[in-house]
Amino acid sequence: MLDAFLAGAHQVFAFDTLIYMLIGSIAGIVAAAIPGFTVTMAIILTLPLTFAMDPLQGVSVMLSVYVGGYTGGLISAALLGIPGTPSSVATTFDAFPMARGGEPGRALSLGVWASFFGTVISTVILIVAAPPLALIAVKLGPWEYFSLIVFALTIVASLVGNSLMRGLIAGVIGLGLATVGPDPMMGRPRLTFDSAILMPGLPFLIVLIGIFAISQLMGEVEDDGKSENKGALIPDVIEFKTWSVMREVLMHPVNLVRSSLIGVFIGALPGAGGSIANLLAYDQAKRSSKTPEEFGKGTADGVIASEAGNSATAGGGLIPMIALGIPGSAVDAILMAALMVHGISVGPRLIMDHPDLAYGMFVAMVVASLMMLVVCVLSMRLFLRVTDIPKQFIVPTVMICCVIGAFALNNRVSDLYLLGAIGLVGYGLKSLDYPLAPLVLGVILGPIAETNLRRALMSDGDWTVFFTRPISAVLLVAALLSVIFSVRSVLKMRKKDRPATDEQDGD
Amino acid sequence: MFRKIAVAAGLMAAAIAGPAQAQDYPAKPIEFIVPWGPGGGSDTLMRLVAAGLAEETGKAVPVINMPGVGGNVGLAEFANRPADGYTISQIHEGLLISNGTGITELNWDSFMPIALLTSSPQYLTLSKNDNFSTFEEMVAYAKEHPGAVRAGVTLAGVPHLHMAMIEDAFGIQFSYVGYEGTGQRIRALVGGNIDIAIGDVSSAGQFVENGDLIFAAVGMPERTAEEPDVRTFKELGKDLDLAVTRGVVLPKGTPQDIADALEANLEKVMQNEDVRTKIQNVGSAPVFLGQEEYKTYLGKLSDTVNRLVGKLAG
Repeated sequence: MLDAFLAGAHQVFAFDTLIYMLIGSIAGIVAAAIPGFTVTMAIILTLPLTFAMDPLQGVSVMLSVYVGGYTGGLISAALLGIPGTPSSVATTFDAFPMARGGEPGRALSLGVWASFFGTVISTVILIVAAPPLALIAVKLGPWEYFSLIVFALTIVASLVGNSLMRGLIAGVIGLGLATVGPDPMMGRPRLTFDSAILMPGLPFLIVLIGIFAISQLMGEVEDDGKSENKGALIPDVIEFKTWSVMREVLMHPVNLVRSSLIGVFIGALPGAGGSIANLLAYDQAKRSSKTPEEFGKGTADGVIASEAGNSATAGGGLIPMIALGIPGSAVDAILMAALMVHGISVGPRLIMDHPDLAYGMFVAMVVASLMMLVVCVLSMRLFLRVTDIPKQFIVPTVMICCVIGAFALNNRVSDLYLLGAIGLVGYGLKSLDYPLAPLVLGVILGPIAETNLRRALMSDGDWTVFFTRPISAVLLVAALLSVIFSVRSVLKMRKKDRPATDEQDGD
Repeated sequence: MFRKIAVAAGLMAAAIAGPAQAQDYPAKPIEFIVPWGPGGGSDTLMRLVAAGLAEETGKAVPVINMPGVGGNVGLAEFANRPADGYTISQIHEGLLISNGTGITELNWDSFMPIALLTSSPQYLTLSKNDNFSTFEEMVAYAKEHPGAVRAGVTLAGVPHLHMAMIEDAFGIQFSYVGYEGTGQRIRALVGGNIDIAIGDVSSAGQFVENGDLIFAAVGMPERTAEEPDVRTFKELGKDLDLAVTRGVVLPKGTPQDIADALEANLEKVMQNEDVRTKIQNVGSAPVFLGQEEYKTYLGKLSDTVNRLVGKLAG
């Protein structure tokens, strides 16, 4: 094992590999930082380049893109309030208020360090526990997936903002939007009204960009002139305090570890991934916090939870891939393809047949996260420059990036019309003080829930299986507890508020 | 001034005449619309073909993924592209099934089939379970317990067709569970959430080697080099051809000489040893059928699909 480890390390630490990895890391960060550009896209562009490289070299480069990509989304989330990738939705909740509150440097540093530790923790778990964890993950059937999604839906309660009712409505709108297009099982069109535009459905990323980016950008335009700091998005600059922030992150060990474990667990389940992990980690951090009312106003815990959670899915996703040859996400599937093209069959025997490769990938993960850290720390000042650019330049530029990114997802012009329409809906909802995160959560979770419910009932028509399979039962009980907990805390808040204020809203 | 106009006119004439002439083809990059998402079988194989074609012609061949509605979004867009040979696309069995089940109006003859390039042998794969461990035992069990064997398939997709062909040939009945993609099916098979599935060497081979899964039969005319111990359906009594074959098509109305030039280029690509090795590495066989043979093949396939389509539409 040590031999294999050293052999792998030897290949990763070759000079040219490191240079390629550095380029990959920067590319991943930049791609993820631009709203609309995704990590998957960056990795596809890397794939043909790796045909000409050694297998481990190619995979190392892709891993550095991957790790960089899970961090890059933080940048636009913190500075623009727009999640750069689906994995950084929860990052906007606290990093953006923190940046607007005059601490953009701290928001970025917190996120970068949390991402770094999240990746490292997930890599450690990957190294020590990949085979047994993968075996558990592979046993989970549609029943467990469905129950997990039911549990995940209950976190809407943490995302509702000012009004429970409006939050729930937004969640239901999201679930409804997710049903448009071909049904996930048979490909039959639903709610498409025979329109060619709606035929392929509403791609999740289009909804994400439309809802968050367009509404945020229009909000910026609207604000202009009203706010004091005309021009730049964020006032004066800016202290990073890189090392003291590192200490600050480490001062939240429970949150850091819990969020990373959530990320690893969700990442290890094929099909779920970072877009759920960041929200779940945020929800859990908020619930176990002594000061939940600080969440959403710029608390360090929120940033740490989201960023550690999403970065940890990188290591988590590799668990089923390295241990069993089963990709956890589209990105993992592309990584596998890159190996297979070189004649390396990826499957349960990978660690036995190519130990140097498997251990080399572990080393590459660590190297990639270090590179991400160095690149981010060194270039943070550059990113913050973005905030010096007057709004009349930055808003159209970001808008253009969103449109290009939305097109590049599927190369469909019709997606752009959808983007515009969804953007208007998002802006409308935001103006009416509807929270947008529950909507996006509905769009993410709806299809997974539907697919697994139908799959479960196709496998066995008996509904009670959901309660007799132990893991499924535990998840359903957790969902129930989560709802009870939320209702109780709403009631408690109401009681507290009542003497002081006349309630206007029913909730 | 006059001379400038004359030169410009000459250039324009050349530009107009240019693309139509096969000896110049290709004179510029060829866009390759792959109507599936990145990372899948079609994407990986067609990227290898695209890289080979770029090397052969000296022009770039950018791959454009246009996924959606089982490949039909990309193909619908492709059907509207100019028929000049500078946009090519790829089809497989899935298109014929989508047409048969009414998902799309497009069919294989909505395009000009140019060449069949890869064939991926499909194996009937069994999970480790208490009821059966060979093909014969599975058939016997399924006859005794109709509908008890859970088969993981892409509903109304190629694996569904393959399973329906097996049901039809051996007079048995499965119950179907929908999964997207071979990776998902194999995972469910390993986890014991389904009993049988269609798999291939690249996704399931190592599980078979490990003893976690069993290859019960292969849908090829002869045993494969990778799994010489696995019997063919022919040996088991029924001549079933279960393969996923991928080929390149042009929009209808492309000049014949352009089509011939592309066919010739692709034939050379498929003789390229590097391309052949890489295609084999990802679990497929490099093959080559030219325009006429490919059309005959698709026609025959179409008959099979139409015969069994009633089973798939449910």
